[in-house]
Amino acid sequence: MSQFAGTEVTAEVLSAARGGDSRAQEAIYRCYQRPVYSLIRRLIARPAIADELFQDTFIEILRSLHSYSGDGAFGGWVRAIAVNKCLMYLRSRWHRSFAYLDADENEPLADLLVDTASGPAAQVQASSDVERALATLPPLTRTVVWLHDVEGYTHGEIARLMGRTASFSKSQLARAHQRLRELLDPQSESLPCTHLSTIC
Amino acid sequence: MHASIDNLLSLRDGQPVDAAIAAHVEQCQRCTAELHKLREMQSKLQALPQLEAPSSFAEIQRAMARPAAPRRLVSPRLVAALAFVTLTAIFFVALRDETAPKAVQRVQPATLQEQPTDVIEHARVPELMAQSQHLEDLLQRLPGRPQIERVSTAAMIDTIEDRIQWLDFQLSDAPDSGLNEEQTQRLWRERVELMDSLVKVRYAEGGVAF
Repeated sequence: MSQFAGTEVTAEVLSAARGGDSRAQEAIYRCYQRPVYSLIRRLIARPAIADELFQDTFIEILRSLHSYSGDGAFGGWVRAIAVNKCLMYLRSRWHRSFAYLDADENEPLADLLVDTASGPAAQVQASSDVERALATLPPLTRTVVWLHDVEGYTHGEIARLMGRTASFSKSQLARAHQRLRELLDPQSESLPCTHLSTIC
Repeated sequence: MHASIDNLLSLRDGQPVDAAIAAHVEQCQRCTAELHKLREMQSKLQALPQLEAPSSFAEIQRAMARPAAPRRLVSPRLVAALAFVTLTAIFFVALRDETAPKAVQRVQPATLQEQPTDVIEHARVPELMAQSQHLEDLLQRLPGRPQIERVSTAAMIDTIEDRIQWLDFQLSDAPDSGLNEEQTQRLWRERVELMDSLVKVRYAEGGVAF
């Protein structure tokens, strides 16, 4: 279930925030800071970059309030901005310079991605096996599995966001689950292969 | 024969799956267990805790108060046009150099130069998306960027990539931002043209590097 679901601000707060009322803007910030930051941290490996993207995202949200038409949930609009910021970063030359842009690289990055020094241990949940396994996935694979399995995006929506095809999204999702399984349930690796058409 | 992970994921998500496969999964202990594990994994991902943001609202306010970056003096369209002209020149220079025998087999990009202009001009959005995807695939197959590259080439690639990013942002927000079919089509057309340019520059750059 998306962490944005069930988080809404009232029309009055939105209207006041559009008019520059800083208390209303703060109300929006308080309502969405956790889902926005959680989403960004799950998509972007480096805490420093994630922090910067978080700030950029909120600046854009607050500056673009006038462009929210009211069609659809406000939380969905907020989430779309955060996702776009992350995808733009993942496509950028800066990210490429860190040499782990695309879905083809296989180097595990858990030590970098689950950075226990970047925040309170309770937050980062470095001990969480799932968190750690998720962090080892290549960026696009991780993005696809998170957007699909947690945020509820369809393969078509993911394909449109990434400028790829739905089958790309499906194959990345399958790949993500295969790798998560290998990391979290290594015993299953010794079983006869059950994935005849995709993985073998 | 057991179900593939693709099929199991489709079953998990309630998407259509071949009836024979669905029937097999119902009867097969192993496939049922695999399906259960996929559901379990999704639940674990959804149960990951929310994280507290590092910035306070006051920091966001301070960041908003900072003066914005200066506006571009040159329009993005002009930059794209200039980039296209320059990279086309580089491409033909690279092609000329290519007449010398090479030890390495190179990928020849099937770019838009080989297609009638009106095909792209009148292409509908799905066709443009397919063309864009094709060019993305082509780009992936090109050799990686060289360690050392000309500043002008690097700058051109960066300019094109920045513009593509901007287009992606516009396109990903298209349904919510009220873009009509014609506007969406125009953006996709520009994306295809820029992707084509990017493939050509990267191809030429790879040729120089060999």
